[in-house]
Amino acid sequence: MTLTTRPAPGARTARFGRVATAAVLLAVVAATHLLVSGQPIGAIAGLLDSAADGQAEKIVWELGVPRLLTALLTGAALGVSGYVLQATLRNSLAAPEFSGVNPGAVLGILGGLTLGLFPADSAAGALLAALAGGALGGGVTWLLSAGRDPAHLVVHGLLGSALLAGLTTMLLAYQPSRFGNALRWLIGSVEGRVWEHLTFASWWIAGGIALAWACSGLLAVLAPSDDHAASLGLHPALGRAIALTVAIALTAGAASLAGAIAFVGLVAPHVARRLGGRVLTAAVAGAVALAGADSLAQLAGHFLNGTHRLGVPAGVITALAGSAVLIRLGRSQ
Amino acid sequence: MSTALDGRPADTAGRPFTLAPWVAGLGLAAVALAGLCLGTPFVSPQNLLSIAPDSIAHVVVWELRVPRVLIGLLGGAAIGTAGLLLQESLRNPLAVPEMLGVSTGAALAVSVCVVWALPVPPPLYPLAGLLGAALGGLATLAAARSGRSAGGVLLIGAAVSTAIQALLLAVMATADRLQYDMLFRYLVGSLSGLMWEQTARTLPWFAVAIPLIVLCVPALGLLRLGDDAAASLGSRVNRARLGVLAVATLLIGAVTGPCGPIAWVGFLAPVVARRLRPHAGVRSWLPWSAALGALVTMTADVAARLAFAPVETPLGAWTALAGVLTGAVLLRKRGSA
Repeated sequence: MTLTTRPAPGARTARFGRVATAAVLLAVVAATHLLVSGQPIGAIAGLLDSAADGQAEKIVWELGVPRLLTALLTGAALGVSGYVLQATLRNSLAAPEFSGVNPGAVLGILGGLTLGLFPADSAAGALLAALAGGALGGGVTWLLSAGRDPAHLVVHGLLGSALLAGLTTMLLAYQPSRFGNALRWLIGSVEGRVWEHLTFASWWIAGGIALAWACSGLLAVLAPSDDHAASLGLHPALGRAIALTVAIALTAGAASLAGAIAFVGLVAPHVARRLGGRVLTAAVAGAVALAGADSLAQLAGHFLNGTHRLGVPAGVITALAGSAVLIRLGRSQ
Repeated sequence: MSTALDGRPADTAGRPFTLAPWVAGLGLAAVALAGLCLGTPFVSPQNLLSIAPDSIAHVVVWELRVPRVLIGLLGGAAIGTAGLLLQESLRNPLAVPEMLGVSTGAALAVSVCVVWALPVPPPLYPLAGLLGAALGGLATLAAARSGRSAGGVLLIGAAVSTAIQALLLAVMATADRLQYDMLFRYLVGSLSGLMWEQTARTLPWFAVAIPLIVLCVPALGLLRLGDDAAASLGSRVNRARLGVLAVATLLIGAVTGPCGPIAWVGFLAPVVARRLRPHAGVRSWLPWSAALGALVTMTADVAARLAFAPVETPLGAWTALAGVLTGAVLLRKRGSA
């Protein structure tokens, strides 16, 4: 064993500890999420024999598990997307919802549904529409801020988001009777997703996260400054374009599953950076955050049972929690 | 009624550049006339006063269009004024009513009354909106109390209004399909269906607000100097700011109750007013903000009614469009200057 390899075992155990912590955390959140759904524990444990027999087990398998996976996948996608945006744009307030990407994706989905471009239950159609809308939203922000310092992108992103929100309301006003169906996309909810929705989106999101992970070296080079990146031989604009494309793809994937979930993409990267982690930590933080928020939403739904016809959407919980974080941030300024 | 508003921006008479008030007055008169005449049935301007009293056109003009134009002009003026009060007292051009939880609070209060069928008679909805606006504004102020900088206050305001918006959507998710039409207005802002009944309930609030606005002017002049300078001149900064914010809340709540949040007018009007009179003070910007707010709102309302007729588009979407585009242009100019 030489001197250069000596730190490796320590680092390896540290990494192992981190992976183990993440796995335990995810398992705990997943178990909590399934338990608060109100199904008997026997039905959930019965799934472990990998066969869904009996009605209760079927309910858990067909509704509970896809809902959990939707929350985990969406949260992970938003966390990574926010991490990439914050690193590339060098602004800790850059997030999918503040850069026009998320509102654009929602606009794309609602536009596609209103114009009848794809059937309401088509997962691939929703994803493509979200992708087109997200690219449009990102493009609007890009045009508004063209030739500017990327650090100022957030002000333009807020303007672009407001513009897209205005377009979305115009679209809704065109057919007010569809307003009820549109609400789910406007607030963001992981309820009512089934396996068919997940099959395509899960590959998309997993691929996007893998790509972002592969780009983490690129992000580290881009993060300090353009000059720094150029001096290391990376064309800054090209690197930024690649990273932003990955971020938009991930946000579109998340939006096609759950609509406009706010604040996960803003807060999860902060948590990841505070823990000293990078892309994968952001993914775990986002997944845990959204699954936890949806558990709370389910609990709140049980309490309000009777008054709430649709259940409490997870987006409400993330918005409330996220605004608390934002208030603390504002106070410390 | 347009002549009544003409008087407000005309206080700049005697200065070298006096064309602008006339242009603004003419513009207001033109959009008000357009609001009265255009649409189905079309009524030509010279026939406005001589329509047969029992015809449909008479009912449409006097029962639907006149109250709507009245609320559009006065409500727009109120929102423009409130925007100026907010921006001046927080010394930040981004301090718009939507960003401080005020108009979302009003929308939330009214939609809770509607959806959960609270025993509030419809005539009191503006009051509920006012209460919600005050609560939303208070929530922001309470959360921001320890936030020192104006930037911190803005961030907190954005957080509070996002939280309230989420609650609003959650409440709407439980609504009945039949209630959507009514609730939709509180999401986007609209002047549709306003009649004399609602107008009569809103106008007294404006009458109350006007003397209060006049009282605010000296306080605004002091707050402009910055907290330290104002305090050294003997002004109780926090109390003065709270008073100004309370008047702004009153104005926004009074408008949001019947119309819903009219987005971005509170940003657009004061910013453009400052552009038009860069060297003047609050005293000159106040009437300009009111006039421009009325102008923008009325123009947007005419566009909302006619652009995709017979479908009526929401007013808020048009004002948002105008506000965002202007904001982008102004930012661009400032960046290149």
